[in-house]
Amino acid sequence: MIRGTVVGQVWATRKARGLDGRTLLVVAARDADGNPSGRLVVAIDVLDARTGDEVTVALGSGARNVLRPGPENRDLLCDAAVAAIVEGEG
Amino acid sequence: MFLGRVTGTVWSTVKWPQAKGLKLLLVRPYRLGDLAPGELRPGAEASEPTDDLVVCADTLDAGPGDDVLVAFGHAARVAVSDKLAPGAKPDVPIDAAVVAVVDRVEIDGEAGR
Repeated sequence: MIRGTVVGQVWATRKARGLDGRTLLVVAARDADGNPSGRLVVAIDVLDARTGDEVTVALGSGARNVLRPGPENRDLLCDAAVAAIVEGEG
Repeated sequence: MFLGRVTGTVWSTVKWPQAKGLKLLLVRPYRLGDLAPGELRPGAEASEPTDDLVVCADTLDAGPGDDVLVAFGHAARVAVSDKLAPGAKPDVPIDAAVVAVVDRVEIDGEAGR
């Protein structure tokens, strides 16, 4: 997983069927020092994260498990999903 | 997934049979510095490209100049297979695909800058 800050949202009419109805957030990833690395990830959001929220983003099959846990989720079009809204870290 | 600008196309004659008929696009990923409050800053005067170009399969008829959303890995194969042969096994030999042509990106002025 990576951590980052939600900086925006994406809208698209022409898209793959698997993205219908999905909320797509733009997340600015953070580097080891906690600063924005410059890299942007677009993640599917089912936790109702808002702009400015610190989040963790799961990638790959972990991301599919956020949308539908279990092995029967390989039909989902998802390679990145908001896995948690971060409240603090030590 | 990531956001990028289509910068060109790639074509080839010698390729894996399952990739026949697949259109391939070159996409330059956007970075945080390319985002202005409110919207994506239009194209070329954005920050120097520091990331590698990504070769993406395209089934949505995107073209140079379009802003697109690209999925990696299994998600890319799911999107392309669903378009080429709905219900078939996602066995196309690709790992990146255009999954949306972006209408609008809304960026908050302050967050993350």
